[in-house]
This record gives sequence, structure tokens and C-alpha cells, in this order.
Amino acid sequence: MQIKKRAATVALLTAATVVLAGCASGSTTQDSGDAAACAPSDGKVDLTFTTWIPGIEDVVKIWNEDNPDVQVKVQTGPNGNGGTYQNFFNQLKAGNAPDLGQIEYDALPNFRVQDGLTNLASCEGVLDAQDNFVDWTWGQVNFGEADAVYAVPQDAGPMAMFYRADLFAANNIAIPTTWEEFAVAAEAVRATGGYITNFSQSDINQFAGFVWQAGGSWFENDGDNWTIDLTSPESVKVADYWQDLIDRDLVSTNPPWTDEWNNAYNTGSNWTWNSAAWGANSIASGAPDTAGNWSVALSPQWASGDNAAGNWGGSSTAVFKGSKHPYEAAQFALWLNTSDEALTMLNESANLYPAAKSGLELPALKEGVEFYGGQPIYDVFAEASAQVSPDFVWGPTMTQVYNDTSDGFKGAVTGNGTLTEALTSAQQSTINALEAQSIPVNK
Amino acid sequence: MSAPAVPMTDAAGAAAGKGPRAAKPPGAKPRVQHKGAILAFVIPFGALFALFYLLPIGYAIYQSLLVIEREGTFGQATQVFGGLTQYILVFQNGPFWESIGRVLAFGAVQVPIMLGLALLFALLLDSPLVRGKKFFRLAFFVPYAVPGVIAAIMWGYLYSPNLSPFSAVTENINFLSADLVLWAIANVVTWVFVGYNMLIIYSALLAIPAELYEAARLDGAGQLRIAWSVKIPLIMPAIVLTAIFSIIGTLQLLAEPQVFRSFSSAVTSTFTPNLTVYSTSSIPNFNLAAAFSVVLALATFILSFTFLKFTQRKESK
Repeated sequence: MQIKKRAATVALLTAATVVLAGCASGSTTQDSGDAAACAPSDGKVDLTFTTWIPGIEDVVKIWNEDNPDVQVKVQTGPNGNGGTYQNFFNQLKAGNAPDLGQIEYDALPNFRVQDGLTNLASCEGVLDAQDNFVDWTWGQVNFGEADAVYAVPQDAGPMAMFYRADLFAANNIAIPTTWEEFAVAAEAVRATGGYITNFSQSDINQFAGFVWQAGGSWFENDGDNWTIDLTSPESVKVADYWQDLIDRDLVSTNPPWTDEWNNAYNTGSNWTWNSAAWGANSIASGAPDTAGNWSVALSPQWASGDNAAGNWGGSSTAVFKGSKHPYEAAQFALWLNTSDEALTMLNESANLYPAAKSGLELPALKEGVEFYGGQPIYDVFAEASAQVSPDFVWGPTMTQVYNDTSDGFKGAVTGNGTLTEALTSAQQSTINALEAQSIPVNK
Repeated sequence: MSAPAVPMTDAAGAAAGKGPRAAKPPGAKPRVQHKGAILAFVIPFGALFALFYLLPIGYAIYQSLLVIEREGTFGQATQVFGGLTQYILVFQNGPFWESIGRVLAFGAVQVPIMLGLALLFALLLDSPLVRGKKFFRLAFFVPYAVPGVIAAIMWGYLYSPNLSPFSAVTENINFLSADLVLWAIANVVTWVFVGYNMLIIYSALLAIPAELYEAARLDGAGQLRIAWSVKIPLIMPAIVLTAIFSIIGTLQLLAEPQVFRSFSSAVTSTFTPNLTVYSTSSIPNFNLAAAFSVVLALATFILSFTFLKFTQRKESK
């Protein structure tokens, strides 16, 4: 019965991890991609690039037409934590990773600790590109080290608050500018039958963005040891705040990225979404019936007069260990993430918000957006982008951190434990996960 | 490839034993004929079996015995022999054993229900009183043709509190809550696999000689009595077979809970043993994931063989 299909699934997974891994475990012990290695290749070069950006094919087509000697072949897959990272790790172990891959900032340390990334610092033009990028994004790709560039920043996710301008106006509720006002407004919204927002219990990046805004950081790397701080005062403050809203049934808890969740926004049951620049696309596609009714404001602040923004997501383009053409791959990554033509197309097809400073000046990002009642929403995100703290550090096992935290958060929204308890338990399991891989960690 | 040929001599001997017994004196060693032909038949199977079965299992066991060592926060990782270190971690892992308990509870309820239904449908199809057998045989079997992931997505939609076409029910009973989600998944699994098990049992029913029914009828047995006293005892081996498949499948639950995880807050990343393996390998911690897999395989073997022994002893009584 079950055996046949299940066995097939399991066999596939095992085959992917086990058989492939057997082919080339020797190749994982190359030394770190060094300066001397980054020289142009002779003749025609074929590169492979795995990503999940919608519409990427058209962007790459332009490159391929202009660069007959460096042809890029695109493969698309599910988003990173949805399966592509797992594939990358398996491919790295098997020694057949693509030349280039899309990696979100939070996953970069994980790939570096697994020795999957090529240091591009010696590739022509890469170090010089630093000034082209928003400061904090560069800090994410060089890990705060000089002479290190492990990926080229692609986009950023400065957070702001999407809100239903029509509903707030019709019900005479003021747009909250502090979290305190947000909680008061939440009561007023609940009284009308709706929810002010949805708390994301299974996509932990939103919560991490809140902690980022509050000035916390979950990880620290002093070069000798990692310090894990999921239970920092900032983290606990944010957790207690949302726990209170959950306890009072003032926020909905539909699992994000589901039809239920889309439906809650599309039917006007949820009024705001604290999300990133790329979220503009998510609302427009998930809640098409609400076109024209949305606006964007800066995130509510912890103290009135503060100017802090969190960040949710954002990707980089990395060159994997084992690529035979790091020079060409780096040139492509720079073009993809700094040229006006590529950035404009990426913004049009996927609402990507560039990490390149020049990208912030693109004409396309100055225009009003119809879905948001003609508001030039990217002006708000540009303001938020400048407010994102450069001090937030991601850990080397984020997939595990997200899994364990969301297991606890899922319990909390169903009345089983609290968000703070979930963080405490994830703190311990993260220490265990690092120790299991001999990654030095302060207990 | 001489090793696989050895068991074949036994098989050949057993087959020969069924022939005209008088021809051979008891205890005589049967001669192996057509060695080349035997090899030609065995080698393709043997090679694939070794390549895609024994080798991966061996590699998983090998991986499970390694630990990682490294220097510094981004130091180069080296794999060294670690003995049973990973297995100690497995036995200390609370959520993993909770998930084993969860699938055992799942199996204890779901497998009897599913096989009970499969048996009932098979008996109905086999009964002379039912019309439209071909139609029903196909209708019961169709869900099995739906891929497990698609079935889970479809049922997830039906269970959905607000979007379900049966929202009158789902608004009041949350099938995706911590109390019910395990049984909601059980329902999906049952829906998919009843037809498959029914077909196995039904084909066993077709193999029963008609004379037995005739004899039973002459003795005055009705259809119910025939089903209970003739059919079920004779198809017991088929039922045991489906039960063992089901036990194995239950311990290996992955696709359905994986799908449910995205829309139910009650399904965690360690909900079933295989989900734990999957989550561990995505850290990525391949060594610990391999140890989990080996322990899970052993648990499955033990459970299946215990069940087999238990049922065989019962039958021999």
C-alpha cells in the first residue's frame, strides 16, 4: 500500500543525499577560492544559474545576446527554503552544483560553513563594486571581513507597513506610527470584525525582521566563537508584544503563503501587513480584489520619533565552490545586480527592490503604483532602506533555527506555550545543532 | 557473482522436490543445471540491486558512523570516524521518539480501518449479489492513481476552515487543529490506499476454487457464512501482506504531513520520523540524518517481523 509511493519519495530523497554524495566527496575539500584562481577562461564559456525569480529568463536573454562568449543557462526551482537550498547542499556534496545560485542573505553563513561559496574578492571589479551597494547588504556578503566577497547583493527587503487605506479611513481609525498605537488600533479593528494583521508563525523571517527593527541581533561571530542570542531583551520584547495580541485574539494566525491567508487579505478580513518591498507583489497577486485600496507607510516604531526599519529577505547571487569559471560568473553577477537594464526588468517582473544604490534611482522606482492607489510606494521603501541597521547577523544553521522556532511559534498560536518559550527552546536546539557540526559556540 | 547462485540451488532443489517425488531418493543433493542461464538471469537483477539498494544502504550506515570536525567559525569541515556518536544523539532526541509514538498511534487506528474497508469492498466485489463490479472495482481504485501530494493538497483544501466547499462543517470543526490533524491525515491516507489494498485482497479471493463455495452451499452456508468461514481464512496471507505493507508505509509517512505542514499550525518539522530525517538533512547534517534513517529502518524491520511472527503463530494454533 503506502509503501510503493512513500518508498519512491524516500528513495528519491535518499538517492539524492546518499548516492550523489558518494560520487564526489573528495571534491569538497578544495581550499578556499583564492585570488590567483579568478582569471578569465579561454574560449566560449557556459554557465549554469539556479534561481527562483519569476521572469529571470528574459533578463538572462539580454545578457546572452550581448555576450556570445559567456552563455548563461537558467534553471528555476522553488524558493530557497522551499527546496532549492536542499538541492544546493546535495549538489555541493556531490560536486555538481551550478556555477551560480540565488541565496538569501540569511542562508549565506550556512553555505559558507558548508564550504560552498567562492570568495570573489580577487575577481576583477568585485571589490570595487562595494560603493555601489547599500551598506548593510555589503556587510551581509563579506561577513565583515576585508578581502572577502562571498556573493553579489541582489535585492533587499526593507520593511514597511502595507495597510488598507480605505478601511482605516471609513472606520475613522488613525494609521498607527508606534507599536503602542498599533495595539490600540488592533482593538478598534477587531471591533469591526476584522484583524489588524496576521502574525506569521511559520515564516520566521517576519519575526526576525521585527527583532532587527528593535535593535536586536540573533547571532554574533567574533572569529573564534558564535554567540546565539535568540532570547535577547529585544527579541523577548517583540515576542511578548505579539504574544499579547495573539492572546487577546487581535491578530489572525493563518499560516502565511496559503490560500487561507490570501483569502483573509482578499476579503478584507486582514487590514495591514508588515512586510518587505517585495511584498508589494504578494499582495497584488494574492488579493486582486482589493486593488487600489492599499497604501504603504513606514513601520510602527517602538518609541515615538524613532527611525528604525527591519529587513525581511533579500537575495544575493553567489558563485559556488567548484565553478570552473568564477571570473565570468562574477561578471555576470555584477551585471545582473548593478546594470540599469537588468535591475529595471527584475523590478518589473518580480518587484525586486535593488540592493544597488544606483538601482534606487531607477525611473521605474519613482512612479506611482496603480495597485496602491497611485502612491509612489518605493519612496517609502527607500526611506526604510536607509534605516535598516547593518548590525544584524545571521547564523550558520538558519534552516534549523527557522524550523525549530516555527515549531514553537505554531504551538504558541494554537495555545500551546508562548512565543518566548519557543525562542528559549530554539536557543538551546540551535546550540546543539552547532555543536553537532563542531562549530564553536558559546554556551 | 557466484554467491547469488548458491541460494538458487536451494530454490531449484525445492522446485524439483515438488515434481515426481519417487524419482529422487530423499536426501540426494540436486545437481545444478544451466549455470550460465541462471547467472544471465540473476546478474541484471543482482547488479541493480547492489547499485541502487545495497550500496546506498551501506553508504547511509557509513555516513551515520562519521562526525564532523572543524577549526574556527567558518573552518574547513573534515569527516572523521565517530563510532556511535550519532546514534547516541538519536536516542537522546525527544521529538524523534515522540514522532515514532505518533505514527504508531496513527497505524494502530488507521491500518485496521483501512484494511477493514479494503476487505469489505473486496468481499462485496466478490459476492455474486453485487452488480456493476467492473465499475466499482475501478472506482475504488481510482484514488490510488492520484499522486499522494496532490491528494494531500486536495484534502487540505476540503479541510480548510474558510475556503472549503463544506465550510459549514469546517468552520465549526477545525480538522487542521492539534487534536484532529493526525486523523485528518489518516483519512487522506485511507482514501488513497483502500483501493490498492482492496485489489490485492480481491485477487486473492479470485484464486479460491469454486468447489469450496459449492461444498459450503451444500452444507447450507449463506453468503455471509461463506465470507466469514471460507473466504477470510483462505485470504489471510493476503491480508497479512497488506498489513505489513501498511505498517511499513505508516512508519515512513512523509508526503502527506509535509504538505499539511504548510497550512496546519499543528504539524511541526518533526511530526513524523521521516520529516525529522528530512529536516535534519536540510540543516544540513547528513550524518545525523543517516543515523535517524538507519534507526527508523531497524524499527520498521522489527515491527514488521514481530507482526509476521505473531500472525504466523496465531495461524498455526
